[in-house]
Amino acid sequence: MILTGWEAVFFWVFSIAAIFAGLLTVMARNTIHSALFLISALVSVAALFILLHAEFIAGVQILVYVGGVMVLFLFVIMLVNVGSEERGSEEIFNRPRQVTTSVIFCALLVAGLIYAVNMGYEGFLKRDGDKIQDAVAQSQSRDRNLDKSATGASRITKETERIGNSLYRYASLPFEIASVLLLVAIIGSVMLARTLKQEAAVDDVDPEVLQKEAANDGELVEVQPEPIA
Amino acid sequence: MLKFFTPAFGFLLQEVTSGRFAAAWEKAQHPDLSKFLTIGALLFIIGVAGVLTRRNIIVIFMSIELILNAANLNFIAMSRYLQDTGNVNAVAGQIFAVFVIVVAAAEAAIGLGIVIALYRNKETIWVDEIDILKW
Repeated sequence: MILTGWEAVFFWVFSIAAIFAGLLTVMARNTIHSALFLISALVSVAALFILLHAEFIAGVQILVYVGGVMVLFLFVIMLVNVGSEERGSEEIFNRPRQVTTSVIFCALLVAGLIYAVNMGYEGFLKRDGDKIQDAVAQSQSRDRNLDKSATGASRITKETERIGNSLYRYASLPFEIASVLLLVAIIGSVMLARTLKQEAAVDDVDPEVLQKEAANDGELVEVQPEPIA
Repeated sequence: MLKFFTPAFGFLLQEVTSGRFAAAWEKAQHPDLSKFLTIGALLFIIGVAGVLTRRNIIVIFMSIELILNAANLNFIAMSRYLQDTGNVNAVAGQIFAVFVIVVAAAEAAIGLGIVIALYRNKETIWVDEIDILKW
């Protein structure tokens, strides 16, 4: 896998964008700015996925992360917005000693990781350097043989088809388990996020019990549970 | 002044045209697997730094999303590399990335539910004030 020409240019543009957006996510004072920078980091990483010929994952990343998860994040940020953060009256980082220690730890980790990646890749190159060179030549001829799209402006890859095949053929049980996990997550988050009032109303609590409870808890006083017809 | 700068320029020119800079520039024009893995490592480290240093629990969650995304980038780069070195059907990395995204979505939903419940009870989103063992 060696990128050439415009692919290389786009690789550098999007990887630098991803890293800067990631840094700003961590350092922004306003939480909403943080979320928006995270969105741009995720979009840049999706562009890198497209450079890796993983178009399906790139689409899923945009749809699920940017369209779903980040909107959820923005809603929650606006729900619990404290405001003291943007005004600058609150410290956004931990105590200086903790920050120094973690930054030193991260610097060591990044040095070790980059060293390990480069050493490991040299080993890879020794093992199958010829195959990589062949693949570059082959991929260009393979791209030329792909079907044209209806407008003729682009070509249709078989990548998504292959992923779908493998997903349902070899990973169908994990796929089903993932759907159950999502169901549990939906129910769990609804249960976690509802208020005491909503709980009492939905559970159709006996009024006598509720009044007894209300003596201990002031929030329950206004609740009038309606009987379910 | 000129005495100092002339050899410096000469050195730079030599390095750019034939030395280490030229080799690095040549490598930068053809990004390969190691570049993708390096970007993944950098994103991962940024996420770890966010988790360790920030006080806002929502920003910590977003840093975790960044970490998971870095892992996805590594998965897909390795999958691409395996496809190029012989195994045409090696899409296991991409399938794993799909599952990572699913787990990240579930984690975000549950985590944000916990944040809302916590904010309702304790009126704070600073993690150093949510030390329930010291309550």
